Amino acid sequence: MGGTLAARNEQIDPFPGLVEAYGFVPNLFGLQKKLPRVIEAEQRLIDVIVVRESGLSRRMKDCLLRIVASAQGSDYCRALHAQTDSNNGEEDAALLAFANKLAKYTPWVCKHDIDVLRVSGFDDSLILDSVLTVALGQLLCTLANALRPNLDSELPAPTSIESSGLPEPVEWFETRGPYLQPGPQAASNFPPYAFFREQFGFVPKLFQEQMLRPDVVEAESHTLAQILIPEDLLSRVAKEQVVLLISTANLNTYFVAVHSQILATLGVSLEDSNQIVEDYRRAPISPAEMALLDEVRKLACCPAGGEAGFDPVPLRAHGFSELQILEAVAMAAVVNFLNTLQAGLGTTPDFPPRRVFTRKDLYPSSSPSRLISDATSPDDPDAAIVVRVQDGDTNAFEELVRRHSRRVFGTLAGLLGNLDDARDVTQDVFLKAFEHIGRFQRRSKFSTWLTSIAINTGTELLRQRKPLESLDEGEEEAEFRPRQIQSWADNPEQALAAAQRTDLVREGVLRLPQKYRVVVLLRDINQVSTEEAAAVLGLSIPAVKARLLRGRLMLRESLAPHFIRMEKRSPDAKLR
Amino acid sequence: MLSCAEFLAEFGDYLEEAASPEVRASLEEHLHECKTCQVIVDSTRKTIRFVTDCDSFTLTADQVEPIVKDVMKRIREKKA
Repeated sequence: MGGTLAARNEQIDPFPGLVEAYGFVPNLFGLQKKLPRVIEAEQRLIDVIVVRESGLSRRMKDCLLRIVASAQGSDYCRALHAQTDSNNGEEDAALLAFANKLAKYTPWVCKHDIDVLRVSGFDDSLILDSVLTVALGQLLCTLANALRPNLDSELPAPTSIESSGLPEPVEWFETRGPYLQPGPQAASNFPPYAFFREQFGFVPKLFQEQMLRPDVVEAESHTLAQILIPEDLLSRVAKEQVVLLISTANLNTYFVAVHSQILATLGVSLEDSNQIVEDYRRAPISPAEMALLDEVRKLACCPAGGEAGFDPVPLRAHGFSELQILEAVAMAAVVNFLNTLQAGLGTTPDFPPRRVFTRKDLYPSSSPSRLISDATSPDDPDAAIVVRVQDGDTNAFEELVRRHSRRVFGTLAGLLGNLDDARDVTQDVFLKAFEHIGRFQRRSKFSTWLTSIAINTGTELLRQRKPLESLDEGEEEAEFRPRQIQSWADNPEQALAAAQRTDLVREGVLRLPQKYRVVVLLRDINQVSTEEAAAVLGLSIPAVKARLLRGRLMLRESLAPHFIRMEKRSPDAKLR
Repeated sequence: MLSCAEFLAEFGDYLEEAASPEVRASLEEHLHECKTCQVIVDSTRKTIRFVTDCDSFTLTADQVEPIVKDVMKRIREKKA
């Protein structure tokens, strides 16, 4: 790199794992010597994936690593894995083609590719080994392309690039994973799972699907503990933004869904995360954060090549230290590793994705026409009008306002608790929707998108007034025990006039804590489905169900005194 | 048999008639024996009915058009 992070290879403390893997400590790692925790994490991944005996031979793994290096244009990594270079006929054409596709055309990988491997005699264990090796190759190439180490004297001069002979795939098959059979279950005290629960609140499926290799899952959790979690250099939020941006560039629906959610738990609104996904240049972040994203974006592994090289100079100009830059590079390398892993295993998102990448995202500039039939929500009754508005017909937007103003107002009135505020903010929501409709890609229904804007706008207003309440998916409160356990009248509607019931319900809803209130509003008042509510709120479906039940029970509690069957009180009733 | 706490943690899907047959069977087994949970299920259903039927947070038809008009006016002003 121009004025490299560490211009010379200097002796570093020995890393036995690297010496075992390569016979010496390659310059690639020497350049990271000031961040030993990062080298240690990388060494451990190399150990479990490349060095440790598994189904694939070391020779075969080196061959796959060279294929990745060729796909990513890394002479250094081709030389690094050339020591066992030989063509002894061991290579399997199907495996080479798969590795090539996974390395170079990652988002195109589909179940069919896995089926081809199975027909060629590869079982789940070998397929997992292959995916892991290619993913590790992406990590090493990312590091090499950013740090640009000098070729070690121990390594042979790189040979000419091995042509993949693999044309760019034409078809994008959207097949659902997971591609491998469910593996063994982890023991309840499996430490990596405890780590994931502690850090993320759940165990991402990507790791559960690798339990054929618990040693690898341990190394991966260790890598995240060493690179993502520490906050002594870059902040956790800055690193999560790197995850989000590179996953977006890699068209990785899974990681965008998971890490938008994780960013939300760190206090970054789903709207702000979404802005990084849709167009990070317009995200509300500082110039330094923007410079960081500008540079790490160049390290995304897909599509391979074509981007200007990573340059640390602008980062230094924004005050980033060498160690911070190194950590950003390491983070980018880990994201490419994980994204490739997910693509190879076909892991489905743990949360409803707010953004589903499709083949259109591969060629964003070559798909000017908007065909309703291409939308992933073809049953959206608003689709045709949305297309007209996106094509410049402002008047068509009037019909969307007419159709949805009751729902938007209802959501806001329940959220804000003030009808005048709700009326004003309803207008703001529609103005925002109109302003951003060009970027609405119709992956969800228009009503879902609009309701998301309403919830975000309303909660933002509430945050300004009352900063402590949050809609984020955090710890749920302790178990809720109903206190009102006396029978209600058979026809409680007769107990009060309709207007009084309406007032009682309104007061009861408004007294609910915000995170329960908003779910009750969406599900019971606006009749939104659980799935749509989850998408709107960026919550998991179980979280929506849990909050809905809690909200309903709390509401029941506040209504109960008005509807108890007076003549049949049962004072002895109690919970067992 | 389920305890009341276990019942209360699980009966959300039951209310929505979305519980799996196994879960439903174990919930109903508890319900058959527990008068208190019968009361809670009955009153929660009635609560949902009230909330669903209430017009506490909706606009009447004549309140919609002024909003449509104001929104479109602001959009056109902004574009002009």
